[in-house]
Order: sequence, then structure tokens, then C-alpha cells
Amino acid sequence: MTPLLSVLLVLVGGLFAGLVGSLTGLGGGLVIVPLLTLLLHMPVQQAVGVSLLGVIATSVGAAPRFVGTGLSNVRLALFLQVAASSGALLGALVAHKVPDRSLFLIFGLVMLYSAVMSFIPSKHDAMGAPTESRLAARLRLASHYRSGEAWIDYKVQGVAPAFAVMVGAGLLSAMLGIGSGVFKVLAMDKLMRLPFRVSTATSNFMIGITAATSAGYYLSHGEVPPLVAAPVILGVLGGAYLGAHWVHHLPTPVLRRVFAAVLCFVAVDMLLKGFGV
Amino acid sequence: MSLRLEEQRRLVTQWILRLSIGLAVFAILVGLTLFLARGAVYFPRTPSGRIDQILAYVWHEALDLRPSAFLDVGILVILFTPLARLASGVVANVRARDWLYVGIGALVIALVITGLFTGQAGS
Repeated sequence: MTPLLSVLLVLVGGLFAGLVGSLTGLGGGLVIVPLLTLLLHMPVQQAVGVSLLGVIATSVGAAPRFVGTGLSNVRLALFLQVAASSGALLGALVAHKVPDRSLFLIFGLVMLYSAVMSFIPSKHDAMGAPTESRLAARLRLASHYRSGEAWIDYKVQGVAPAFAVMVGAGLLSAMLGIGSGVFKVLAMDKLMRLPFRVSTATSNFMIGITAATSAGYYLSHGEVPPLVAAPVILGVLGGAYLGAHWVHHLPTPVLRRVFAAVLCFVAVDMLLKGFGV
Repeated sequence: MSLRLEEQRRLVTQWILRLSIGLAVFAILVGLTLFLARGAVYFPRTPSGRIDQILAYVWHEALDLRPSAFLDVGILVILFTPLARLASGVVANVRARDWLYVGIGALVIALVITGLFTGQAGS
């Protein structure tokens, strides 16, 4: 493959990753890592390093479309990020002491179940939880978002369990080298009962911070080749901008189906790794 | 937070994001153009070491106007944008005297910096 073709391929792959990543709040690493390892035969560590930069670019590229719309709940993101980043730092310390395969199996099954459930529309898709928990009230997490010309108020529940899931998500992402956008969206959607668009946009904000926490490791170890990372970033920025634009126009059931389809893919991938395939 | 402070916060966030995206896109486009213009035979070195060493390396590259500096600058701008956004949020909360979220924001920044500079966290 010629260098020009490689650059173009990575650019287009980045564009697709940014589009899917910003639509679902998952980051797009699911697209970038296979693209780099399977098509460009890059070592996995380098592919993960480049992918993390792609995840940050997804978060940054989509963010301008979310600012001022209320879709990204910054207070909620900051609070949960304390758990996610702590988990990521802790995970690095215990990375080699926990059997990976059993973790893959457990979480693969949980995600498969969540994927099936995600195909079913929720009552809180647009309006959020009907009541607010005491902790959510103390942290002032209830907010509102713009939908067309109207502003829709929503409440928040299940803060403590979601916080615990974030610690686990950070821990796992550090130990297994996976993105944690999936767990973030699921915790906000299923436990906190946020409107689905708010879940994906808030996750989009958080994944950039989590990826920045860990990207330093890969950069320090020379695992981010600039000639690959740069076109990935360029493509992802374009895709993320488009995806964030479409989030405002696509119906929530369509967004939910895209999310569930990606979730199925991740769950099967995790289960296969768990079975050693 | 008052409406005026909220609006200022929105504008500052937009400004940080647009500046970062613009700078990264410009730097990467220049770097890639130079790479392709030279027949795609020049392969820039992959930087490594502590983050502060990488920053110093890229700074020297930039002073020498080496083409690879453009690609590295684009990557570093994207890497540090979430941190800049967090820092601006903390400043906005200080102005709004929202001490709870000043504390939470500062804690998140400390965690990110710990991961970024010690290179201990995973993905």
C-alpha cells in the first residue's frame, strides 16, 4: 500500500469513527483499532495509542455543537469523572493481578443483555426520570436541554450506583485497554434515567477526559506515530462534527438502535476474547 | 450561576474548542501537505519520553521549522484540549462562587494530570 493510500484510508476510517463515536457517545475506538491492526497491520499497542487520540478528537470535534444546547450535563460529567478517572488510575495498579478472560466474559454477558434491552425504547427517552433522588438534588444535577425551539427539564436518579459503575468502568478500561463510553452511556441511561440524547452527549464530554488521562502512557512509550495519528485526528474531527449535527435531527429511536447495534458488536467481541477466540 | 456568567462560560468554551480544532486542523494539514509534497518518503520520528520531554522536543522541532513539528503540534493540541476545557470550567465556577464544583473540577484535573504525567493509567 502506498503512503498516500494509507493516509487516505486512515482519514476516511477516522471520519467514519468520528461519526459513529459522536452519534453514540462511545468514542469511535471500536472502528479505529480494527482498522489499524487489520488493514495497516499496526501493533495493537500503537493502534490503541492512536485510537485514544481519536477518542479525544471525537469528544473535541462534537463538543461545539453541544455547547449551549444543554445536551451535555457538565456538572454530572465532572462528578462521574472523579469515579472514572480514579478507577482508571487504580486499574493500572492492579492490571496484572486480575484474570482478563473472566472479566471479558462477565462484562460481555452484561453488555449483551444491555444491548438487547437497548433496542426497546424507554419511557424516559425524552423526559428523563420522573422524580429526583436526594443526592442528585444536593449535587444540583437536574438540568434542561434544548429540543427544537423548546427547553425540556429533566431529573436525575441513581447517582450512587452510577458512580460505582464509573469506578468499575475506569478500572476495567485501564486493565483491559478498552474504551469506557459504553459503560458511561449505559449507566446514565439505565441507572440515572437521563434522556438518551443527554446520556450520549454527556458521555461524549467524559470520554475525552478519560482518554486524555490514559493517552499520556502511550505517548510516553512512543506508541503514537504522528503520521498515522494526525490523519486519524483530522478524519475524526470531521466525522464528529457531522455526527453531533445529526444528533439534533435524528429521532431518538434511531439513535438508540445505532447504539444497540454497536453494543452488540462490542459484547460479541468481549465474549470471543473471554472464550479465548 | 447568573445568566451573564453562564453566557460568558459558553463563549469561553466555544472559543477554546474552536481555537483548538482550528489550530490542530491547520497544523496537521500543513504537516501532511509537506509529507506528500516531498514524495511521501520522509517519515517523522515518533516522539517518546515524559510528557514534559516530548513538549520540549516538539518545541525545538518547531523552532527549527521542521515539518514533523506540525503533525506533533496538532496531536498535542488535541491531547491538551480536554484539560484546557476543564480548567476554564474551574475558573468559571470560581467566578460563580460555586465551590462544590470548583473542588470537583480541581480533583478531576489533578487525576488527569496524574495520569498524563505519570503515564500510569490505561485507556
